[in-house]
Amino acid sequence: MPELVWAPVTELARMIASKAVSPVEVVRAHLDRISALDGDLRAYITVCGDAALDAARAAEGALMTGGAPGPLHGVPYALKDLYDTAGVRTTGGSRIFADRVPTVDATVARRLAQAGAILLGKLNMVEFAYGPEGLNPHYGHAHNPWDATTPRMAGGSSSGSGVAVAAGLAPAALGSDTGGSIRIPASLCGITGLKPTYGRVSRAGVLPLAWSMDHVGPMTRTAADGALLLRVMAGYDPADASSSVLPVPDYPVALTGDVKGLRVGMLRNGFLDAAAPPVQAAVEAAANTLVSAGAVLDEVKLERTSLAAAGALAVVAAEALAYHAELLRTRAADYDPEVARRLRVSAFVGGAHYVRAQQVRALVREEIDAALARRDVLLAPTTPVAAPALDERRVALGDGPSDVRTALLRFTRPFNFSGHPVCALPCGFTQTGLPVGMQLVGRPFDEATVLRAADAFQRLTDFHTRRPVM
Amino acid sequence: MTSDRIDLDTLRSGARLAGFAWTDAELDEIRTQVEAALRLLRVLESVDLGSTEPTTSFRAV
Repeated sequence: MPELVWAPVTELARMIASKAVSPVEVVRAHLDRISALDGDLRAYITVCGDAALDAARAAEGALMTGGAPGPLHGVPYALKDLYDTAGVRTTGGSRIFADRVPTVDATVARRLAQAGAILLGKLNMVEFAYGPEGLNPHYGHAHNPWDATTPRMAGGSSSGSGVAVAAGLAPAALGSDTGGSIRIPASLCGITGLKPTYGRVSRAGVLPLAWSMDHVGPMTRTAADGALLLRVMAGYDPADASSSVLPVPDYPVALTGDVKGLRVGMLRNGFLDAAAPPVQAAVEAAANTLVSAGAVLDEVKLERTSLAAAGALAVVAAEALAYHAELLRTRAADYDPEVARRLRVSAFVGGAHYVRAQQVRALVREEIDAALARRDVLLAPTTPVAAPALDERRVALGDGPSDVRTALLRFTRPFNFSGHPVCALPCGFTQTGLPVGMQLVGRPFDEATVLRAADAFQRLTDFHTRRPVM
Repeated sequence: MTSDRIDLDTLRSGARLAGFAWTDAELDEIRTQVEAALRLLRVLESVDLGSTEPTTSFRAV
């Protein structure tokens, strides 16, 4: 039997359903590990130990009496503390919401519970999801588990989600992604993160950063686990006006392992060429791995993604300030000073900027759609560097120095702006043992192809199976 | 507001128009970030948008 805290969700679900292992054992193994390690890692804000064990016992009882298990029956998971959970505080990573206890679950939390999943707790994050480094002065910075000597960024804003899954403190977590907040921690923590198509997964009950840029998605150790979670989470929700009525495919069934003939477009100009050399090398090697399995590779040049930085700034700034304006007037002193500064800057983004940004958005989306009309996926690094040190503020990229924040967002943000689905997964390690990530971008609502490509890569490599030494 | 350097009076007016009464110290603290943001936003002003309509909804529901 595999070590329970490292077993994939798909395997845990199978073992529990076949009664090879009890949900109580699985939950207890994770709670013990959280107890042992999370004091240093700071992945969790709230651990729901008693409730999780109660749910595990109920799940065990249901199996013993012959009940039909849901697809995630007895499988533990954790939620970024942005998702409303009835009766469990949801802080948004902020002191302002430290005592905020919702009465209704977020839609995706409810769907996961209905599928039998068990909530372990609420995960650390950047305050109100407004930052890519993963820093939080109120609840402590989540520590990247891949470097035991130098404290390093986990990435954000779903920092706790990245750390928890990477360190075996949860087999799966949910994050949110407005500029890269699932994919950046996935890259820096060496796990698999999926930003679905905008509208594929309901955002109802998830505290917003920017309504038209926010995406909800799973963070797991494998693409197969991501497929299973997405199958449960996705689908129309009347509580989210942006959610799509398109049918939800059976994502796990789409994971054939076959990439023969898969048309892959490498994003070199402005993406691969701008990455630091170790990242370039790992992503080039990953592309060769896909080609060796039968994929067809060419290069794509996107001219308009440089507009996405300006457009995304305008949209996120305006929408975030719209949500925070009153809190900023009444509780300014309780914000993370860095988040407060970002919100203040937002006040200088005018209405005309916002509308022009939405016009530019159509142009950026059109160009990516055109590239994908002749290809199945686009390939790029997820972040241009591996995990920076916690106190690092500038990094050296392939096209010159950059501040850390801009660097981390650079390759991810265009696809929040456009809304295309993206899977970020590990594709190598630096010489000092830090994970390197790549991202696969797909056509709207074609998560099946994106996940198939990611899963096929993971069948050919073992980067996703490596564990940090802790 | 598209100039490179922004003085405190302009920051104060901008904040007031947006409905905020920040101190001079708070405004001075964000001056360089505002200048950087406005430089970046100038990119939007330079794009030939033709008749492209704003995208308010991305995907068919």
